[in-house]
Amino acid sequence: MRVANRFGLRDMGFDRDRLLVIVFLLPLIGFFAILWLVPMVYTVWSSFFSDPLVNPVFVGFDNYIAIIVDDQFLYFLWNSVLFAVSTTVLSLVVGLGFALVVNRAVFGGASLRTLMIFPYLLPTVVVVFLWRFLLDQNLGLVNRLLLEFGLIDRPIEFFGTVALAMPSIVTASVWKWGSFAFFIVLANLQAIPDEYYERAMVQGASQWQQFRDITFPHLRGAILLILLVRGIWMFNKFDVIWLTTRGGPASVTTTLPIRVYDYAIRLGEFGMGTALASIMFVLLAVGGVVYFVGLNPESGVTK
Amino acid sequence: MFERLVGGPGGLVPNAVQQRLSAVALYAIGALVLLFVLTPIYLMVVVALQSPQTLFSGGELTLIPPTLTLNNFVTLVEQTSTVSYFLNSVIITVSSVFLSTTLAVVSGYSLTRFDISAKTLVARAVLFSYMVSPIVLAIPLYVIFFRLGLLNQYVSAILAVTAISAPFSIWLMWQYFQNIPIAYEESAWARGASRWRAVRDVVLPLARPGYISVAIFSFAVAWNDYTMVKVVLSDESLYPLTVGSELIFQEVFIGWGEQMALLFIISLPPFLVAAFLQNYLMQGFNLGHGE
Amino acid sequence: MIMAKAITLDGFTKRYGTMVAVDDISLDIPAGEFVSIVGPSGSGKTTLLRMIAGLETPTVGRILFDDKDMTTVSPQDRPLSMVFQNIALFPHMTCRENVGYGLKIHGMPKAERDQLIDEAAKSLQIEDQLEKVPSELSGGQQQRVALGRAFVEDPDVLLLDEPMSDLDAKLKEDLRIEFQRLHRELDATFVYVTHDQREAMTMSDEIAVMRKGTVEQFGDPETIFHDPDSEYIATFIGTPSTNIIEFDADGELARRGTTSVPLPAEARDEERVRVGFRPQYLRAGGGEVEVDVLVDVIEPLGVDYVVHATTVDDSSRLDLVTTDVSKLSPGDKITVGSRLADVFLFRADGRRIRSGAEGGVDL
Repeated sequence: MRVANRFGLRDMGFDRDRLLVIVFLLPLIGFFAILWLVPMVYTVWSSFFSDPLVNPVFVGFDNYIAIIVDDQFLYFLWNSVLFAVSTTVLSLVVGLGFALVVNRAVFGGASLRTLMIFPYLLPTVVVVFLWRFLLDQNLGLVNRLLLEFGLIDRPIEFFGTVALAMPSIVTASVWKWGSFAFFIVLANLQAIPDEYYERAMVQGASQWQQFRDITFPHLRGAILLILLVRGIWMFNKFDVIWLTTRGGPASVTTTLPIRVYDYAIRLGEFGMGTALASIMFVLLAVGGVVYFVGLNPESGVTK
Repeated sequence: MFERLVGGPGGLVPNAVQQRLSAVALYAIGALVLLFVLTPIYLMVVVALQSPQTLFSGGELTLIPPTLTLNNFVTLVEQTSTVSYFLNSVIITVSSVFLSTTLAVVSGYSLTRFDISAKTLVARAVLFSYMVSPIVLAIPLYVIFFRLGLLNQYVSAILAVTAISAPFSIWLMWQYFQNIPIAYEESAWARGASRWRAVRDVVLPLARPGYISVAIFSFAVAWNDYTMVKVVLSDESLYPLTVGSELIFQEVFIGWGEQMALLFIISLPPFLVAAFLQNYLMQGFNLGHGE
Repeated sequence: MIMAKAITLDGFTKRYGTMVAVDDISLDIPAGEFVSIVGPSGSGKTTLLRMIAGLETPTVGRILFDDKDMTTVSPQDRPLSMVFQNIALFPHMTCRENVGYGLKIHGMPKAERDQLIDEAAKSLQIEDQLEKVPSELSGGQQQRVALGRAFVEDPDVLLLDEPMSDLDAKLKEDLRIEFQRLHRELDATFVYVTHDQREAMTMSDEIAVMRKGTVEQFGDPETIFHDPDSEYIATFIGTPSTNIIEFDADGELARRGTTSVPLPAEARDEERVRVGFRPQYLRAGGGEVEVDVLVDVIEPLGVDYVVHATTVDDSSRLDLVTTDVSKLSPGDKITVGSRLADVFLFRADGRRIRSGAEGGVDL
């Protein structure tokens, strides 16, 4: 029967189903090939050359070595890690805290959720500018409040002060990306059946004990996942830092992605840029594996 | 362990106290977070709607303006390329959303329905692409587009932005399709529907929440993007709002009011999406991570 | 010393906005009794139980354990334990940890806990399951673990919220026995909520039959069965359920077709009366009150048979239970009868008509 012809692929020989698969998958393959594979291969390839665009000369691992032995490399790596970790952890704290609140709220849940998703959807440009405005020396609200309450006697240039530049960027980042953690945590919180809490209450458990014995175990997997996913994303973040400080002042907010841009576009050192990009990837891959093996985010509550 | 301390019955911190403490703590946290989230947004709106006269009267920023005005918006529309940037944003975003969603649906469906040995490969590829920073992708793309003569056309911006949103979208739809039992299609097939018809009449309607989530995600990536476009486009007439805003801010006659008005314009579509398509967003978050 | 407590409900009411879930219930549950609260879904029985537990607070009314007012006391501080319908075992803890959770909360050291847990496990035959996680257990085993939890805490009051509704028939039988055994061993007041009247009838010392937020009758199973206060109770309790046929009332007699039933004095001014016949009291052949029926279907149940019939004058259903169907087959026209004393009389609104001299029921 005609119908039989349309089932599965394994039974049939060639013919339309094979064709169908190819047609369906061609876009996917084509997409990945052109927009990812080729650029990545090209990146790795270029990293072994000096001046790959204009006058390529094969230099082996020279680019890599030059990057690693540079005395500022570890400093930039540290900045990347610092930024990634602090943004991620603080986002989690904010998201978790607010999720706990919203979970208990009887009313207004929907509008609170709309509110929280909004920063996430705002373009980074907007977020950056809003925070630059807030933290502005002359007109910013923050400086104004600090002065009024007598905490400082001169306005602070947040993004231009060495010690405060990174925290300022982190604050803006948490503002935008905290909602991500919020939603994931909230979804997991709402999935915890009420019966567990009721049973614990009847058995005598206090608020704290309920949190420790029910809420937290249920959230563990989600939290670890958020930390990993957001950590990677923040490690790779370019636009927030670039738009606020360009990596300054005095390189104090320069992270590896900024460095890649510096090498490849500003300094024209394409080979160095691609080498650094490859190093970044390797670092993340290794970090990811260690994370999974060590912490096993899959364990915890399984359904 | 500390049961004596924090435990319910007979514990050092009695239950009633704990309940009150947690209620207070929750309210405090809630208030703080609300303040944190709302302040920048409020500022944006309040400044955008003020004329220079009221904005800094008294030497400081006016937080509660006596009058409101739309002049800033008018200035933007009449004296800058705001409208053209807005249109560019729309073109790039809509095209990218369409492309990304279609790709995600087609790929997600194939990955679940067809027995392909390369599935793990695809999963790894998605993970791999997530670990690559957009800036790292932008640079070789620039070179490739250059070689292909595609620089400074909408196409390159659209493709570049889609390259970022597609992997996660594909993964989302893949997960989503896994939750649609094949039984639906089989019953359609048993009634003589071709594969294509079964997909169109049965699968797609069922997958709607999924692909709407994907569309929203792709929208956020595309509307928001700065990095990819900055690298791949240099013709100012093609700039979307994100990149174009930098140019506008440099104009002499653009003051704080106009700047905030521009930010407001850029923020409006995402706000509408958030307000009206909230539920789909929640679904996307649910499927993507955790359960 | 842990002792069973009596529970007193006084004017217990729960309203959600304009909806009344529990309507002014006053009940005295004697200490140490096994009391069932039965009713269909929506009758308010679960709400009532949750208020006894303290998980919900009554809009109006008080609750007392022995003579102590517990109305404002939080669930943590009430001396009770609870078994839930969906079992509520923590998925991330082993069964041992689940069973011992309450003890741990109260600060009991591990060695003591383990001893009590082992005892309970032995009693409930779940020793092999102690180190496993709940997801590895079957439904019946999980329920035993939940019971073990309650057992180990030696509560004064044990509340059970439809604990068997998700289980199959065989398991229910086994667990019914477990519950009764537990009741004897624990010396606690059991409050058992269910929609299954059979469960209630077999296990309880007393039953509270609920409908739409009120307790229609509270008494021991015998009384509820033989002397129901209302038509609702007569039909709700007992399987197959009581046959109800509407009769026209005319002074001294209630009449339908060829059947007549004498009315007691209280009912003489009623125009319509509803007459209840329990299938178990009906006999084929005749009796003091007789009805002519056509046999439809005969259902064998083993020793008993349920004969489903219809009255000849119009289509009222009549079921009877009997052990002898040798002379019966579908299509037969027979006369079934009952003793006058076994017939229930109800007013049109469902209330039972009783009297001292005539129509009373011998117990």
